[in-house]
Amino acid sequence: MSITVLGVNHLTAPLEVRERFAHAPHEIPQALHRVLHAGASGGVLLSTCNRTEFYLAEAGAAAPEEVWRILSERLGDGRPARDYGFVHRDREAVRHLYRVSAGLDSMILGEAQIQGQVRDAWELSRAQAGPVLHRLFQTALLVGSRVRSETVLGAGNASAPSAAVAVAEKIFGDLTDRAALILGAGDVAELAATCLAAEGVGVTLVASRTYERARTIAERMGAKAMTLDEAWAQFEHADIVLCSTAAPHAVVTWERVAPAIARRQGRPLCILDLAVPRDVEPAVGQLENVFLYHLDDLQTVAQQAAVARREEIPKAERIVDQEVEHFWAWFHGLGMVPAIKEFRSRVDAVRAVELQRAMRRLGHLSDADRAQIEQFSYALMNKFLHHPTVALKKAAEEGRGFGLLEALKTLFGLGSRA
Amino acid sequence: MHLLALGLYGLTTALALAPFAGARSAPRALMLGTPMAGAAFHVAALVQLSLVGLAPALSMLALFLVLLQVVSERVLRAQAVALFTAPLATGLVGLALLIGFGPGAEPSAGRNAWFVMHVTLSVLGLALLALAFVSSALYLLQFRELKAKRFGQMFRLFPPLERLDRLNQIALAAGFPALTLGVLLAIGYAVRFAGGLHVDKAQVVWGMFTWLVLGWAVWLRHVRHWMGRRAAVASIAGFTAVLLVYLALKLTQPVAGRFL
Repeated sequence: MSITVLGVNHLTAPLEVRERFAHAPHEIPQALHRVLHAGASGGVLLSTCNRTEFYLAEAGAAAPEEVWRILSERLGDGRPARDYGFVHRDREAVRHLYRVSAGLDSMILGEAQIQGQVRDAWELSRAQAGPVLHRLFQTALLVGSRVRSETVLGAGNASAPSAAVAVAEKIFGDLTDRAALILGAGDVAELAATCLAAEGVGVTLVASRTYERARTIAERMGAKAMTLDEAWAQFEHADIVLCSTAAPHAVVTWERVAPAIARRQGRPLCILDLAVPRDVEPAVGQLENVFLYHLDDLQTVAQQAAVARREEIPKAERIVDQEVEHFWAWFHGLGMVPAIKEFRSRVDAVRAVELQRAMRRLGHLSDADRAQIEQFSYALMNKFLHHPTVALKKAAEEGRGFGLLEALKTLFGLGSRA
Repeated sequence: MHLLALGLYGLTTALALAPFAGARSAPRALMLGTPMAGAAFHVAALVQLSLVGLAPALSMLALFLVLLQVVSERVLRAQAVALFTAPLATGLVGLALLIGFGPGAEPSAGRNAWFVMHVTLSVLGLALLALAFVSSALYLLQFRELKAKRFGQMFRLFPPLERLDRLNQIALAAGFPALTLGVLLAIGYAVRFAGGLHVDKAQVVWGMFTWLVLGWAVWLRHVRHWMGRRAAVASIAGFTAVLLVYLALKLTQPVAGRFL
């Protein structure tokens, strides 16, 4: 009985590598199917711009290998994905997910967006998750909520979009009456639009495939919406361009925007690319007076803004530790309950056989005496089993149950799977 | 008085540089109060002096730099300007003290107002050109940090690019009329009180060159609409040229003029 998490994240792989591992929602069931086929009893794939992590239940040696194979295929250049990866098992795997959900493992400490992404991953993997991972993800969401309500880890402006606003302010100072183009109409784009509009920026949402959603968001915010084809000329007038599309390749290319940027007469242009894979071709950042930032670039800025949040880390870690222990007790209890049941029924079976044998030899006894002896056998069995049962349950609660469980199975020849 | 001003300007320099040495940033009140106290002592020292000679001119330039630093901080919250102006002012006051404020060939009382106005406006024009240089240097440093995606102390402590660009624009726009008036007053003073332009050629050459450089920088910004990095480079080039021409004249004509 085990839980394993393995994959890559912003701590182990740079953006240009991470973006290759990112799975679109429709790709997740297929990837999990392969992992389950390799022997895992359950799987959840958490794929965001900062992490691609496979959570596996009861994975033997083959399932993790299959994960590395899947990731290496996406890397596509012969390099093993394992070089960029990490593996945590059992209690550390649980702790990892709880820290992720709480925002403790985020590129931008305490960001709230990750909790929605954990929920989405759970929803998308529901069919393959299995009971243990269901429980794990359910509790991870509760841990995230608890950390955010009991600490100020989520306070202040340290999300990717708000870090983007901080960078833009270092170029333009006051953002009031500046013009921003926001490419994309997803959650990040909407959050960024809200952040910028709150600073007094005139926002225009740009989308093609999701134009209707962009128009809806724009109407709600009193902003404008346009299609991508209309947007390229606007690079001459915009001060800030924020990109967060789901496009699988760069949409903002040098050819598309260089002519418009050349007409800016030296006015700075801040391009913030929050998309994974990246939306903006690196060559665009080489243009004079263009300041191009990717997600990774915003990390330092956000970390500076998150000094107050960092002071909350010990408190948040304590909550995570407590919750890991609770989960672990439950998790080991899962194996312990059937083992104890089987242990008791084995002993009871022995008791019943031996009682029957004794009764055959004591045929002269009255029914009352027989009942008395049967009662005695039950009492003796319960007396013998009481201490081991309590000790096993206690060990399970304390997370020390695994060794005892194995010993129990060996000593009494228990066959049920833990 | 000059020594007190020197000490306070030195302290301002230390406060401005402290965050780059890992210390905490000084409170804004301290960053404003220290140079203002220094400037108060400085004004008290200057009013007792004749403005003739190199030392008073350097001292006045230092005073204007400090006052412009305080105004930049108050109006545009450009605290980082002190990184350049505070050590520059400290150095200038120190240099003035080394040269000494000896009695100069003081103009007669009737000419004094013209002369004082000429010196004041010319030095103010020069200080504003220096402020344009400082804002440009800060602009280019911040530009480099932003372009290189380095988010260290410079990124945190330097003002936004557009604010620095605006400071440069304001400094040039204010510096040009000040220097123009200073030059006109010099000509008026020479014609009215000195019987014609009998000043040393080096002084005239440097004065006119500085005026042309400042005019060129203003023309680039306001007629050619240069801004941002190009304007910053032009300002730095102009200020450097003014400084180099001064040094060249100083080396080739060591006894020239009153303040050269």
